[in-house]
Amino acid sequence: MDTTIDIILKFAAITVVFVVVLLVVAYTVLAERRILGFIQGRLGPNRVGPGGLLQPFADLLKFILKEDIVPDKSTRFVYFLAPVIATMAALMTMIVYPFGPETRIPFTSITIPLVVARFDVALLYVLGVTSVGVYGIMLAGWSSNNKYSLMGGLRSSAQMISYELALGLSLIGVILLTGSLDLTQIVDRQSAWYGARWLILLQPLGFIIYMIAAIAETNRVPFDLPEAETELVAGFHTEYSAMKFALFFLAEYINMFTVAMLATTLFLGGWNFPFIESILGRGTFLFGLVSAIIFLLKVCLILFLYIWLRGTLPRFRFDQLMNFGWKILLPLALLNIFLTATLIVLFPNL
Amino acid sequence: MLAFLFILFAGMAVSCALAMVAQRNPLYSAISLIGVFVSLACLYIMLAAPFIAAVQVIVYAGAIMVLVVFVIMLLNVEHEERRAPRLKFLVPVAVVLAAVLIAEVAFILVTVRDFGAPVSNVGLTHSIGSSLFTIYLLPFEITSILLLMAMVGAMTLARRGGLLSANARVVPGSQQLPLSIVDPRAEPDDLRVVETDTTDEAARLLGVEGVRDQSKRD
Amino acid sequence: MEPQLSWYLALSAVLFTIGVTGVIIKRNIIAMFMCIELMLNAVNLTFVAFASFFQDVTGQLFVFIVMTVAAAEAAVGLGIIIAMFRNRETLDVDDASILKL
Repeated sequence: MDTTIDIILKFAAITVVFVVVLLVVAYTVLAERRILGFIQGRLGPNRVGPGGLLQPFADLLKFILKEDIVPDKSTRFVYFLAPVIATMAALMTMIVYPFGPETRIPFTSITIPLVVARFDVALLYVLGVTSVGVYGIMLAGWSSNNKYSLMGGLRSSAQMISYELALGLSLIGVILLTGSLDLTQIVDRQSAWYGARWLILLQPLGFIIYMIAAIAETNRVPFDLPEAETELVAGFHTEYSAMKFALFFLAEYINMFTVAMLATTLFLGGWNFPFIESILGRGTFLFGLVSAIIFLLKVCLILFLYIWLRGTLPRFRFDQLMNFGWKILLPLALLNIFLTATLIVLFPNL
Repeated sequence: MLAFLFILFAGMAVSCALAMVAQRNPLYSAISLIGVFVSLACLYIMLAAPFIAAVQVIVYAGAIMVLVVFVIMLLNVEHEERRAPRLKFLVPVAVVLAAVLIAEVAFILVTVRDFGAPVSNVGLTHSIGSSLFTIYLLPFEITSILLLMAMVGAMTLARRGGLLSANARVVPGSQQLPLSIVDPRAEPDDLRVVETDTTDEAARLLGVEGVRDQSKRD
Repeated sequence: MEPQLSWYLALSAVLFTIGVTGVIIKRNIIAMFMCIELMLNAVNLTFVAFASFFQDVTGQLFVFIVMTVAAAEAAVGLGIIIAMFRNRETLDVDDASILKL
């Protein structure tokens, strides 16, 4: 009986997280178009619905109804598999992020932490699943039987595997300071001292390296050479149309969302906010709800940073990009590890 | 419940492995091998080794196979060419031996009594870390040197060399070889035999002709 | 019933045998390399199974070292494959027979 309730709760949690993620990602696309418009001195899409709020649904209808074109000489199985891999790898990381503290479900006495799955190696799991996401792009570039796609796919995957290293190394400082790979525990360790234990204050260099590596991982400006419209036609997703292109598009924005959630969890203190706990009381339902909303607000802050960068910066050339990743970012990440380790040895009470 | 999960993941692993061996296209073999790695990672989680499972996905499925798929794409390997002449009389032998293997596996599964598996706590990161950095520190350090050696070796092998062009073929020693191997501009089935002396070849390719004559004059 | 240790060992034996078959049958050198990786993984499974059933962490540490060695071997092996391809334009192992008497 107990396991049945557990399984039902897990399925409900997964459904809720899935729906929330898809909604937030859909409105991130709309927000990006509006904010880019404002940065560039124009209004974004504001016709469909009040202020353009129904635009994502119009886009979804368009994607579903478009004609699905499959290139003639492509490798069929791999061609269909690639967007599936990309989207699956993007969605699988959603389950480990803590949205809130232990809360009591109203009208019952069940207390659950607001996270879908809590296990010991959550951070490594996130790194592993994003490594598998590289395959979607590589196989898409290869199977389209198009030299622009192949070049875009190879460049994009080379960029992703190069910046994965800097990403992983920048997280080691966080692991050293909190002593755990479990994301729930990392957020719990940041909940004292009224916000002064948020790791962005203790690890500023780590945060900057993480953000740069994350922007490179998700193929966003200024690192979006492999898929920019003015470059290799459209890079690895040149030959994809309708629903499969929608899956790639979705996978890119979900990756952005994932990376923003990881940054919030590790560096910005997760669902913590000073003084909320003392006002609302620990373990109540209202505290859980407010914490989840605060978490989403922090994630939206980082997404705004992404969009802001897209409207402001030019893009790197590919050799500049690889040079930056290997020769500048990787040594900086190692330096960060050394500094953090030295600080921990000198001040063990941190 | 656990037995069902074991049969599911084991079935996935074995079918992906069989698919990998049976496929002719090396890219499909690589994708099947990724399937094997992921199902093995799920089995490791069932065996209370979450750290090893995550490392398996990161290292094997996320790094090594990416490298292999890169090489397959760059070398543009399409499919295996001409079938080798197979020894027909060995096929029944193979079938018999496979039947022996299956019989042995079935015997093990049916008769060996249980070992009684309690769910253990050994695979947590904490225990792995504390053993790795205290008792087993020497293998850890030697592994880091091994990785450095591998990096240097891989970079040396893949380098194209300074002065030779990309299509140059310098063959070692003085021997008689078909022209197709020595001269990259010849037809692939040109079997005229030429005598190659490495020093002259290399001198011509490097554009430093006449140096050897100078040394002979001394 | 719970999965026994013998089940994991049997699965490991089957995977190892499939790997050996692949190495013998295949003529493409990249496919042979992948079958060698399959053999290494079968052995990894054995180690982890024993580590779990005997409650000893040494098995998992050995798997860690084996994975690192496999990564190093992959890098160097693929470098050799690329060098071989550059000289011969073919990935067929039967063509690498210059040293044959």
